Amino acid sequence: MIKISNLSYAYTKNTPIFSEINLEFDRRSTAIIGQNGAGKTTLAKLLKGLLKPFDGEIMIGQYNVKTVSAAELSKVIGLVFQNPNDQIFKSKVLDEVMFGPLAIKMSESAAKKNALEALELVGLHEQLETNPHDLSLSEKKLLCVAAVVAMDPEIIVFDEPTIGQDYAGKEKIRNIIQVLKKRNKLVMTIIHDMDFVAENFERTIVINEGIVILDGDTRKVFAEREILKHAHVEDPSITQLGKVLGFQETFLTVEEFVQRWKQSQR
Amino acid sequence: MKSISLYTDRKSVLHSLDPINKLYYIAFAIFIPIILPSIEISLACVALSFTLLISGKVFTKTMPAFGVVLFTLLTVILIQGLFRPGNATILFQAGPFTMYREGLLYASILSLRVINIVSSFMILVLTTSPSDLVDSLVRKGMSPRIGYVISSVFQIIPEMMAAMETITDAQRARGMETEGNLRVRIRAFFPLLGPVVLGSLINTKERAMALEVRGFNAKSPKTYLLDQKQYRFSTVIQWGILFVIGCAIVWRLAS
Ligand SMILES: Nc1ncnc2c1ncn2[C@@H]1O[C@H](COP(=O)(O)OP(=O)(O)OP(=O)(O)O)[C@@H](O)[C@H]1O
Ligand SMILES: [Mg+2]
Repeated sequence: MIKISNLSYAYTKNTPIFSEINLEFDRRSTAIIGQNGAGKTTLAKLLKGLLKPFDGEIMIGQYNVKTVSAAELSKVIGLVFQNPNDQIFKSKVLDEVMFGPLAIKMSESAAKKNALEALELVGLHEQLETNPHDLSLSEKKLLCVAAVVAMDPEIIVFDEPTIGQDYAGKEKIRNIIQVLKKRNKLVMTIIHDMDFVAENFERTIVINEGIVILDGDTRKVFAEREILKHAHVEDPSITQLGKVLGFQETFLTVEEFVQRWKQSQR
Repeated sequence: MKSISLYTDRKSVLHSLDPINKLYYIAFAIFIPIILPSIEISLACVALSFTLLISGKVFTKTMPAFGVVLFTLLTVILIQGLFRPGNATILFQAGPFTMYREGLLYASILSLRVINIVSSFMILVLTTSPSDLVDSLVRKGMSPRIGYVISSVFQIIPEMMAAMETITDAQRARGMETEGNLRVRIRAFFPLLGPVVLGSLINTKERAMALEVRGFNAKSPKTYLLDQKQYRFSTVIQWGILFVIGCAIVWRLAS
């Protein structure tokens, strides 16, 4: 669905962010991890067409990101911004969510239907008339999610969706990701919460110093403790626990661990 | 932090002078050609300003501003040269148009004055960092509030431009066309205004609160975070400029 070839990018000369990256994305849900400043947000903006590649090519479906406007691309790829304040610009929750669908020429009624559905999904359906600036940070983030989901793109990129979310908020995000997966969307998430990655994503990509240093099934990636350490990424707590207790497997969820542990006790 | 200031950081004598001196120079550049309205004096003033700009290593930076100014002045010269009442001496003819000496002379003096004033502002703007200027003014007794307002102005515009960029990104990320021909751009511009203004109001409120809790409104005299910069020859230059203006007035009255 997405094919990145020889992608290079730099904000300013002499400090390249990416050099010659090659990546392909299929419908597996994918987590992108890496330390602060690794270039994850930059990658998301490049995919979204908000930044244009320096060198190399990004193909999204049949669109070449270089030659298509970001607005055109938004029909196929949606991005939930890292900082909700950068994304929100309308003065009512409902207007904010309807903006995207209307901008890509959905009919008024379809836009409204999608918007209400999306708001229901994130749990903001009772605050349609509220000014987004009066919402809490975690609610704003959910609003941004709804605004993108309402446009119904094939690909959705979340930039740090779980930031500032309490348990209930994280459960909501988890649920949204599941719903999107069921709708057969490609869900891509930039995230620092490794436990969340382990429990929710099939594929994990680790970015460090402008290159992809690990890429593959989440379980395989988290088995590479040394490389992860080098990239300043910590493996999930349950994976660590398994390792410390001397198990050979790489555990991704508490259930897996408990099951294996019970076996070993017999 | 970005700033709208055109200040260019170079090493030169001009950069090391007191910003207040440069304000005096602006007064000089405005008044001398008015007090002594001959074209020779105007020419001399322009020559002086240009020399200063060159010595400050910022002459090339003035080109965009002079481009605009010269274009405007060209129309003035044409109109005055062709149509000024009192035009009598024919200079030359081009097709149906006749260029007159009187109009051309008048327009030239006017142009030189404008160029001179613009240059003097350029000297201030290009070789003085806004914060140094405000610092100097506040130390001279200007209210710190006004000083704050002035330095905010230098920051608010780039801030608004950054906000505009952010919101544009948010809009095109969700399907609004903002790239392309002029019509698309203009159509995309107006929906921006609301959020940008609102955003800057919110920022202003937060900044006001931040100032308030730091005691900006306290009655006690303010202290300075930065050491006072030592400027060379500040008083000498200041009185020198005033002296020359004084001489010019006397000369004018006497002749
Ligand atoms: N607009 C910009 N101009 C110049 N440099 C930038 C800009 N945005 C980001 N950078 C730099 O590019 C690098 C990558 O930034 P990016 O935001 O992509 O990192 P990130 O992986 O998303 O980090 P985080 O985990 O903190 O969100 C950083 O060093 C950052 O300072
Ligand atoms: Mg980021």
